[in-house]
Amino acid sequence: MILQFQKGDIVRHLGLLDLQRTMQRALRRSGLPIAYSKGFSPHIVMSFASALSSGIPGDAELLDVGLTDETTEEACLTAMNRVLPPSLAVSRVRLVDDRYPKLGAALQQAQYRITLRGGGTKAVAGAIDGFLAQQEIMALRKTKKSETMVNIRLMIHELTAAYDETQDCAVLTARVSFVEAATLKPELLMESLCAFAGAQPERCEIRRTALLGLVDGKPVPLIDL
Amino acid sequence: MLKEKIDGLLDRVQKPARYMGGEMNCVLKDPDSVAIRYVFAFPDVYEVGMSHLGSRILYDIINKREDALCERVFMPWVDMADLMRSEDVPLFSLETRTPVGDFDMLGITLQYEMSYTNILEILNLARIPMHSEDRTWDHPIVIAGGPCAFNPEPLHHFIDAFSIGDGEISTLETIDVVKACKAEGVSRQECLRRLSKLRGVYVPSLYEATYHEDGTLASFEPTEEGVPRTVVKNMVADLDKAEYPESIIVPFMEIVHDRINIEVLRGCTRGCRFCQAGMIYRPVRERSVEHLLDLAQKLVDETGYEEITLSSLSTGDYTCLPQLAHELMEKFAEKRIALSLPSLRLDSQLKETLEETQKVRKTSLTYAMEAGTQRLRDVINKGITEEDLISSVTDAFAGGWSSVKLYFMFGLPTETTEDLDGIADLAGKVVRQYFATPKNLRAKGLRVNCSASCFVPKPFTPFQWEPQDTIEQFTEKQKHLCQIMRIKGVEFNWHEPHVSFLEACFARGDRKMADVLEAAWRLGCRFDGWSDQFSFEKWMQAFEQCGVDPAFYANRRREKDELLPWAFIDAGVTQAYLWRERERAMQAQVTPDCRKGCQGCGLKRFEGACEGR
Repeated sequence: MILQFQKGDIVRHLGLLDLQRTMQRALRRSGLPIAYSKGFSPHIVMSFASALSSGIPGDAELLDVGLTDETTEEACLTAMNRVLPPSLAVSRVRLVDDRYPKLGAALQQAQYRITLRGGGTKAVAGAIDGFLAQQEIMALRKTKKSETMVNIRLMIHELTAAYDETQDCAVLTARVSFVEAATLKPELLMESLCAFAGAQPERCEIRRTALLGLVDGKPVPLIDL
Repeated sequence: MLKEKIDGLLDRVQKPARYMGGEMNCVLKDPDSVAIRYVFAFPDVYEVGMSHLGSRILYDIINKREDALCERVFMPWVDMADLMRSEDVPLFSLETRTPVGDFDMLGITLQYEMSYTNILEILNLARIPMHSEDRTWDHPIVIAGGPCAFNPEPLHHFIDAFSIGDGEISTLETIDVVKACKAEGVSRQECLRRLSKLRGVYVPSLYEATYHEDGTLASFEPTEEGVPRTVVKNMVADLDKAEYPESIIVPFMEIVHDRINIEVLRGCTRGCRFCQAGMIYRPVRERSVEHLLDLAQKLVDETGYEEITLSSLSTGDYTCLPQLAHELMEKFAEKRIALSLPSLRLDSQLKETLEETQKVRKTSLTYAMEAGTQRLRDVINKGITEEDLISSVTDAFAGGWSSVKLYFMFGLPTETTEDLDGIADLAGKVVRQYFATPKNLRAKGLRVNCSASCFVPKPFTPFQWEPQDTIEQFTEKQKHLCQIMRIKGVEFNWHEPHVSFLEACFARGDRKMADVLEAAWRLGCRFDGWSDQFSFEKWMQAFEQCGVDPAFYANRRREKDELLPWAFIDAGVTQAYLWRERERAMQAQVTPDCRKGCQGCGLKRFEGACEGR
C-alpha cells in the first residue's frame, strides 16, 4: 500500500531515522497485515519515496509498505490515523500490487511552496521573470561526495509567485528536478534567486507539497502513476 | 506569540525533537477544564527523562483525574537553555508550550544528586524564585520526590515540599490539598502547613536545624505545633491495585530505554549493604502474572514497541519469573517482540529463562558482582559467589552468548589490594571460560565489558556512617586497576572519582550544602552528570565561597550517636537495624534474604507491609 501523509509543522524537525522508527511503530500498532522481511532480524518492508530534510514540513509525503493480506484502502486509512499523531496524519491510501513502480525510482520532480515575508520579499518575488529568462544559472551544488558548479536553470520546471502587498508576503510555487543526478534543493534555488534579485527576505519558509513522476513528459503525483 | 518564538528556536538547536512534544499517546487537555495544572519536570535531557518509569506512572495517574492535567518538561540542553535566555523565552511545557511558572504545581523527580544544579537551572529558566520563601500563589507549589528525597536537606531552600516514598498515592493527596487551598483562598503558607500533615510529606520551611561547633547536627525540630517530628515514608501496599500506565508516550527520537518497561516487583530483600534502593523501597511487593500479561498486551497494542523489559531492583527474584517469561514469549513471538531481563540475578533460575529469551533475540548479559573477593562480597552482603558467575557464563557461552558485562565498585569499606586484584582475577576467569567452551557452541567475538565505579556511601544504608575514600585514594586504586585489567578480551571502564566525591557530599549533606549548591550554580555549574559539562574547579570554588569543607561530608566517619540530617525520616528500615548490619559487615558476616527469615529491619512495624509478596 502507498500511504500519503503529512509531515506537519510541529514535527518538521524529524530526521529520516526518527520518521522511520515512528512509522514502523505505528504500523505495528495498526493491526494491518504488515509484511516483514525474512532473515535473522526481521523488519517491516517499507520505503519512503524520498527523505525530507530535517526542518522542512511536507503535505504529501509517500511511504510504500508491503502487506501480506487483502484489505481495503479505507480500512488502512482509518487504522493508520488511529495510531499516528495528528501531525503525521495520512490523507490518502492506495493499494497497489507488486507491478507498481518503485516510488524512489519513479520520482522525477518535487514541488515546493516557499513563503517569503518581510525584508526584500517584494524584490525577490519581482525578480522571478528575469531570473527565469536567463539561459544559464550556475550554482554550486553540494552533495556528500562533491561540490560542482551546475546549470540549475535546466532543473527548474516551474517557478511562480503570488505577492500580497498588505502582508508583504510572497508565496512561491516551485517545481524542480528530483532525480539522483539532478536534484535541485529549494534552499539552493532560493539562494540563487535572492542573489539575482540582490535582496533578502526576512523569513523564508519552505514546504514540500508534492512528489511527482512523469507520464508522457507531464508531471503526475507519484501515487497516481 | 510565545509558541511562534519557541518554534523559531527549534530551528537553531541540536536535537529539536527534545522540545517538540506532540508524540503519540501524549495527553492534551483543555487547561480551563481542570482545577489543577501540574507540570512534571525531569532535571535531565528528554532522552534520559523519558526513560524514567516513575515519571511515566505519575504522568498517567495525574492525567487520569478529571480535575487535573499533567504536562512534561525536561532540562533543556545547554544550547537551548542559553538561547532561551538570550531570546527571552521562559521554560515551557512540551504538551502545550505553556510557561512552567504558570502551572499550579511543579513536580521534580530526584534521581541523582548530580542533577541538583539542573533543578536550580529549571527554576531559573522558569522564572520561579529560587527560594521557597520568596514564592507567592503566582508561582507553582514546587514538590520533589524520588530516591534522593530520602535526604532532602541539600535542597531544603529550593523545594516547597518533598514527597518521600512511593508516589502513586502521595501525588494525588498533594493535588487534593493544593486544590482545596486554592478553592478556599487560604494563604500559600497555610497550604504548605496542610501539606506537611500528609503522610510522607516534608515541608522544610517548617523545621529548624541547629549545629554543633564541629559542624555536626545538634537539633532538628519542627517550628510549629502540629507539624510532625517524624516523616514516615509512603508505601503502596498492593501493586496490583496501584495504577500502572496502560498506554505510554512513544517518543519520536530514540531515548535511552526505548522499549516497554513493566515493573514486576518493587523492593528488594537481599539486603546488599551498599544499596540504598534495596533499603528504601522495602517491603517487596509483586504484581501478579495475570496483571503483568494484561499490561504487556495493552502496552504492545498501544505503542508498537518491539521490546519489553521486565524491571525491578531484582527481577530474578520475581517468584513466577519462569512462568511469566515463558508466557510473554509465547504471546508475542509472532509479533517479533524481544524480551530482555536487565537486572537478572545469576543465582536465580537463570537457565530456563535464558533459553526462552534467546528464541527471539540475543541481548548481552550483565552481572553485578560489585566486589572482587568473596570476603568483600560478604562484607557488602552481596550473595553471589564466583561459582555462581562461572556456572552462569558457562551456560551462556554454550548457549551462544559472547557479550558479558561485569559491574564492580571500588573504595568499599574494608577493601584491600587483594580485593582489587580479585576483580582482574574474575574477569580473567570469565575469559578462560569462554575459550574452554567448544568452538562449535560458542558465538564469535568475545566481549567482556568490565566497569568499576567509585563507592558512594548513601543514607539509609548500613554504610551511612562510613567515610568515602578520598580522591587520592581512588586515583591510586584506579591506577592499580588499569594495570591489572590489561586482559585480552576485556574492556575496562572506570568512573571519575571527582563526580563520585561530590555525589557523596550531597548524598549525606545537610542544609549547608544548599548554599554550596546555589553558589556552584551561580558559577555556571549545570549538567554535572555529563563529563563534558562537569567542572570540578567551579565546585571547589563554591565550597570555598561558602566556607564549607567537602571532606566533612564525604570522607568523615560518623559516630553511632551522631544526629544524622536524614534521621527525622522514617524510611521503614530502622537506624538500629542499619547499625546492626554495619557491625555484621565489619565482621564479614552475611545476612540472609529476609524471605528466608525476618531480620527485623523495621518494616514489620507497618501493618501488612511484609505480606504483599
